[in-house]
Amino acid sequence: MSAINNKCEYISKNQIKITFDGKTYSAFEGDTIASALLRNNIRLVGRSFKYHRPRGIYTCGIEEPNALVQIISEHNEPNTRATIKRIYDGMEITSQNRWPSLRYDFGAINNILSPIFSAGFYYKTFMGPKGFWKNLYEPLIRRSAGLGKPPKNFRSKSTHQYHNSDIVIIGAGLSGLAAAKKFINTKYKVLLIEQDSYLGGVLKNSNKVKTINGLTPQEWISETEELILNSKNITILKNTLVTTYNFTNHLIALEDKFAGKKIDLNKSELTLHKIRTSNTIITNGHIERFISFRNNDLPGVMLASSFEKYIHRYGVVPEKEPVIFTNNSSSLSLLKKLISLGCKPKAYVDSRKKDNIETEIKKILKDKEIPFFSDAEIEGCDGNKKVETITIRQGKSFNKLKSSMLCVSGGYNPDIHLFTQSKGLVKWDKNILSFKPDTPFQKTITLGSTSGNYNFKKLCDEINEKLSIFKTKKVSLDINLNVPNKFSIKELWETKKKNNSNWSKSFIDLHNDVTTKDLKQAITEGFDRIEHLKRYTTNSMGTDQGKISSINSLAIVSKILKKEISEVGTTTYRPPYAPLSFAAIAGRSTYEFYDPERKTSIHSWHLKNNAVFEDVGQWKRPWYFKASENETMHQAVQRESKMLRENAGILDGSTLGKIEIKGRDALEFMNLMYTNAFSKMKPMTSRYAMMLGEDGMIKDDGIICKISDQHFIATTTSSGAPKVLADMEEYLQTEWPHLQVYLNSITEQFSTFNISGPKTREIMMKVFPDIDFSNDAFPFMTFKNFDYKETKIRIMRASFTGELGYEIYIPPKFGLELWEEIFSCGKEFNLIPYGTETMHLLRAEKGYIVIGQETDGTVTPIDLNYNWMIGKNKKDFIGKRSLSRPDTSREDRKQLVGLSPINKKDIIEEGQHIVELNELPKKIKNPIKYLGHVSSGYHSPNLNHSIGLAMIRGGKNLLGQKFFVTATGKTKNIPVEIVNPVFIDPENKRLTS
Amino acid sequence: MTNILSIPGVKVSQKDYHQIIVRGNGLEKFNNTIEEKTSIKPPSKNLEVKYDLNYLFAKNSFDQWSLILTEKKDHNQILNLVSSINTNENMLASDYSYGQVYFEIEGENKDSFLNQLTHFDLREEKFPKSTMAQTVIARIECSIYNLGNKYIITCNKSFEDYFQQRLKDTASLN
Repeated sequence: MSAINNKCEYISKNQIKITFDGKTYSAFEGDTIASALLRNNIRLVGRSFKYHRPRGIYTCGIEEPNALVQIISEHNEPNTRATIKRIYDGMEITSQNRWPSLRYDFGAINNILSPIFSAGFYYKTFMGPKGFWKNLYEPLIRRSAGLGKPPKNFRSKSTHQYHNSDIVIIGAGLSGLAAAKKFINTKYKVLLIEQDSYLGGVLKNSNKVKTINGLTPQEWISETEELILNSKNITILKNTLVTTYNFTNHLIALEDKFAGKKIDLNKSELTLHKIRTSNTIITNGHIERFISFRNNDLPGVMLASSFEKYIHRYGVVPEKEPVIFTNNSSSLSLLKKLISLGCKPKAYVDSRKKDNIETEIKKILKDKEIPFFSDAEIEGCDGNKKVETITIRQGKSFNKLKSSMLCVSGGYNPDIHLFTQSKGLVKWDKNILSFKPDTPFQKTITLGSTSGNYNFKKLCDEINEKLSIFKTKKVSLDINLNVPNKFSIKELWETKKKNNSNWSKSFIDLHNDVTTKDLKQAITEGFDRIEHLKRYTTNSMGTDQGKISSINSLAIVSKILKKEISEVGTTTYRPPYAPLSFAAIAGRSTYEFYDPERKTSIHSWHLKNNAVFEDVGQWKRPWYFKASENETMHQAVQRESKMLRENAGILDGSTLGKIEIKGRDALEFMNLMYTNAFSKMKPMTSRYAMMLGEDGMIKDDGIICKISDQHFIATTTSSGAPKVLADMEEYLQTEWPHLQVYLNSITEQFSTFNISGPKTREIMMKVFPDIDFSNDAFPFMTFKNFDYKETKIRIMRASFTGELGYEIYIPPKFGLELWEEIFSCGKEFNLIPYGTETMHLLRAEKGYIVIGQETDGTVTPIDLNYNWMIGKNKKDFIGKRSLSRPDTSREDRKQLVGLSPINKKDIIEEGQHIVELNELPKKIKNPIKYLGHVSSGYHSPNLNHSIGLAMIRGGKNLLGQKFFVTATGKTKNIPVEIVNPVFIDPENKRLTS
Repeated sequence: MTNILSIPGVKVSQKDYHQIIVRGNGLEKFNNTIEEKTSIKPPSKNLEVKYDLNYLFAKNSFDQWSLILTEKKDHNQILNLVSSINTNENMLASDYSYGQVYFEIEGENKDSFLNQLTHFDLREEKFPKSTMAQTVIARIECSIYNLGNKYIITCNKSFEDYFQQRLKDTASLN
């Protein structure tokens, strides 16, 4: 058993080193892991999924079910297909799913126990006893499941690239290149996508084609590639695999940017191409299928065309004397190639009758005295972790040959995965014994072997005919072949076993360890629908989706059911065509770019002043400011709250939504949108307002500034701003198109500062010495515009803390400068910055609500005792009718109240229940009467005890009564008194001072 | 102007422009007001962009226009212009000068560069010269104006840092 190296122009002469399972091997640049291992006579590369059977390299491409390895040098990437992963110097690879070593794997005990692991084993076995699933079976199965180990934590820099094109050609083999040639320098924008690093496909995998238009295949490929590269309209993507074909001709393709190179962590290793195209041409060829026979999974069994591809594409002959087993005419080119290299197959086994076998094959076999078995088949293989002997059945006689390699060809399947993903319909073709594309669902064209056309001579006509819908010149292809142009095949899916042994298995799905016996058993147990059978046996449910075997399983099932294959139908091929990593799907939307961040114009100041941020929507808002490294959030919030009530504090409120409303009918519009009445409101005054849904429930709140009856400015909650604007626009366009009103979002156009506290007026007078801030000149809930440097600012007297307060609106360019000026002036008054948590505490002390905290989509203004906000005489507003429904006027609705602990040391926690019991039973057997919940709970530094706002059934009538609030992790409840929700300054003396 | 990045075939710079968003019905009185106040005739076709060295005027939708003034001006001048447009009770003009940021992207590879951040179809036949679009770039809402040899992209100022970082990150991974 030994491989030989052959000349190959696609492989560099540069020798490189790789390690496999800790041992170093020499290979060449351009090799895949598989070609490198074969070059070094490594046949055993992994263990199977379920039975831990020894497995080798079965194919030479994406269809590989066996040779999955772990790349240690690429953050332990598991389940990498050795047959497509290109190597680089220093690459570290290990086999997977084995312990302690690949040769001696403890898990192989599963193979000994395999007679009991038949189809449905898991479903039947793990039903009981009760409790075993959770505590024994599931942990055990989870530990042993999967093939490779999870990768190490790493930061991928995968990128996304969007494309919009007229035509996408998938596959740059003979058909793809010929199709692309038609579009050179035309008006069409074309993307030509090839999964390999070279163009040419089948032309580089075998020597079937002698010349194209008088040129050798390589000359024709080079000429065509050059023409395409020089064209203005065609882009080639190499090392790129189309994995997904979605609706509306949307394709996903994955490009390996470091194919054959060590990954540079500073660069994008993968690019996910998201392509929108008008037309898709699929020319990604065909996939050879295997034949099921006894021990058809032993290392040394390989598909014939893959064996041939290793010779042509990688210059490695895996074995000098293999046995060839076929049921069709395609193996002639392999036979000829081996002879030309001075190799002599041990035997040629053809299931076809001698008369149906091509004369040229028979002549070569005779001339070279190669043992020839016609109308014969492989009964099975035997050997210890590799093929050692091969048993041939011819009629009733058996011949046993010694050979280490068996090349199998069971025919070809057009690669219809992408076509079926596009929802195209397929039909059974008796001539090629496979499904092929029939009716496309989208603008999809298949060409060449993808369309089931295995005749090179007919390719040119097919291309010109199918692509005649495009206004392009006809393409000419004069193809001369080294093999006959006729494809002949005999139906053969599985060979008969000589003896029935429970340990000699005939596999139908190598990836998931499914045997032909499993298929038969599933049908016996009633799973005779192909989709049910697939799930019961897990046949073709591996990551390879049964590329080399799914048609075989359909055929075997159809034989058992005595139906035509077309009647049995196909299972659904689902995207992705081959696995793609989560890193590729996520692209750059990870880590620092996980979610776009919005910052206010004061953000840099906040950073410098030790702000701890909280995310409010996408905004970064200061939560609290740390006075020292060791200060906790609780300490900071207590300090900020106390300082503000004693002196003054300032909050960056720039994130508040702001909407400008103007037009002839602006007043009527505002009266309709909000519960409040604005008709009698004086210009240049403001009002706290509430917006309801049509169900009468509170949707948003804010302050409305009336400039005139035709011009308003509304503020909204930070996170509600886009929705409020969208709702306003929707009502204007759909419900009240007769109103002439225009809206602009001006949230970003102003930085907003909320300054409040007893010393605020003094600070404001120092910052703006020319403005009269006296109560008479600037009363509560009024606003004015002023010149400030080269711009204008708006100052409104309003407060959300219950203290004397002003809101300043300034264009963001000037925001930071003014903020710093305020601090400079405020220093002597002990002005402090405060964050959102302090804001929440202060407003709770004052009994002000927060949308989304006291409200949850089921709360009306009446529930909050905000009846004063409802314009009783208004003809209409959104939600008006719903407020008069019996349910919304019920007395026992949950209503806003305040909570004060009886024992002032007790802490009222947000989210806790309010109950009548002072203690909960240890085990709750009967439902406990629930009165409501704590919507806000804080420790008030100004009252020196905990306070709460709560929504309680019939709360308005419970003032002064005693109830209990549950506590985390305790059965003993906290006694509380129901009080007025306004804890501080109920007379509004501070507010209007 | 601030240079953000320069890689082969792509140059990105940030500009200091002024902007006014105008809403109205686009009828005669509307056009007269605009012409009287700005000496520019507003575009009448949806998504059309008119521009010269000093301004860029686009019709964003059936009742919304954006006027970008590329010349540096005193902000009070802009605010006065906004106020004078607002004297027409059938129109709303809002100053967008400093609440937005402006990026200019030029170079032969600008389309492929931008298509790493947006799905938007930048092909000439789908997005012709002298048109604009409102779309998502780097997962945020942006307006993009096609001036032939370059694009002007505007987005909310709050995204300025994020957008700059995404542009630089895209360039660094190329």
